Amino acid sequence: MNVTEKLAPIRKGLLEYVILKIVAGDKVYVADMLKLLGPTEFATQEGTLYPLLSKLRREELVDYEWQESEAGPPRKYYKLTQKGRTQLSTLNDYWKDLNRTLADFGN
Amino acid sequence: MQKVVSISLNGNSYQLEEPGFDQLRAYLESAEARLKDSPDRAEVMADLEQAISEKCRGTLGPHKTVVNTTEIERIISEMGPVESPDEKAAGAGTADGGAASPPPSFGTQPRKRLYKIREGAMWGGVCNGVAAYIGADVTWVRVGAVLLTLFTGVMIFVYIAMIVIVPYADTAEDRAAAFGVPFNTEDIIGRAKKNFEESNQRWHREWRRQQRHWNRQFRHMNEQIRMSAQSFAPNLSPAARGIMAVFLPIAAIIGALVFVAWILAMVSLVTQHSIFGWGLPHGVPLWVGVIALVAIYFAISAPLKAVRNGGHQAAGHHPGWRTVHAIVWMCAVALLLWAAYNFLPGIRELVDNLVWAANLTASNFSETMVARNWN
Repeated sequence: MNVTEKLAPIRKGLLEYVILKIVAGDKVYVADMLKLLGPTEFATQEGTLYPLLSKLRREELVDYEWQESEAGPPRKYYKLTQKGRTQLSTLNDYWKDLNRTLADFGN
Repeated sequence: MQKVVSISLNGNSYQLEEPGFDQLRAYLESAEARLKDSPDRAEVMADLEQAISEKCRGTLGPHKTVVNTTEIERIISEMGPVESPDEKAAGAGTADGGAASPPPSFGTQPRKRLYKIREGAMWGGVCNGVAAYIGADVTWVRVGAVLLTLFTGVMIFVYIAMIVIVPYADTAEDRAAAFGVPFNTEDIIGRAKKNFEESNQRWHREWRRQQRHWNRQFRHMNEQIRMSAQSFAPNLSPAARGIMAVFLPIAAIIGALVFVAWILAMVSLVTQHSIFGWGLPHGVPLWVGVIALVAIYFAISAPLKAVRNGGHQAAGHHPGWRTVHAIVWMCAVALLLWAAYNFLPGIRELVDNLVWAANLTASNFSETMVARNWN
């Protein structure tokens, strides 16, 4: 079992946090998110992303609006809600603590 | 020549080669099956169809109107397997106990049980276990136990009984049950580490304090014995003495009866969750029953005590009568417990355990003393 495989559950668990971070920046379309994530460790696919976004929307952390596109039907553009912003800052703090804890061990 | 199937994806029509159509249908069916418990199923399915629809459109041109099988295969592999995040949360278990998952309802929480907990224990871990059980800070439980011991004295029996009856939480599952929450190894290790050093220091401090206290008490007791020996000169009228001679032993025996009945009720309650077959009302936790029982005992014994004090007052507070009362009381308790031991099998078991625990404590104690003297 190599390292990438070992940490797969961690990346999976972090995906929600990563998505919140991306959505916090600007209104984004799923294809844009996939493009952003593609070259990173968090590369993912529609099959994962859509269910996750729907869950986040159900939890009122993100919301979307329809926007016309030049080619084809309108697209869903996602943005962060106030609640999502609060959650994101909590997650940011938690992530910092986690990094500090990790750095403290073995020193 | 290929047979072509016409489909509609989220309101847009496409023509697919038949094998491609079969694969796409299989993909969407499996996605739907995966999402069958998700409240977002309809929405996610629409999103997926929309995404597939856009990908299909990308493959078409002015002179290409059919999506071929290779293209469908590529699209499906781009989409990736559909995973429901809710399903993931359930499968991974404790992986995200965070904000995303809803707070666990009472039904899913592990059942709480009373245990002794060694980590951070001062003596037997009883207070620690009780604190975990009722979800309070252990310091307050200790303060409560000490106060009850000082004011009533019977608490020490309860404590010793609990040392014997209540099991130690030795496995992770026990601990989980003791706290009523899932418990992992890191928590245990962290807690144990933190408490070990603290309790070690505290134990030494406590020990020295206790020794000073015992010395003081011993001197005090000596003085009392001396004083009572001096004042045991009879200055009561013979009649009053006669009444006291009859009244005090009776009061002592009644007191002993109540006390023994109470101890047995407590044992019965703690071990069988019922008092002589009478169960606690549904939904009432054990500790409430224990507290209620203690309260009942005081409610019954308080008037007895008042009457006895009245008797003492009439006798001019003669310490000799107190001694008589105490001796009769102890004899009666001993006799009753002996009877219970011989005629009630449950009690016999308990007492055997108590003796064993007392021996163990005594040998530990003497070892500690020897070790300390050598250091």
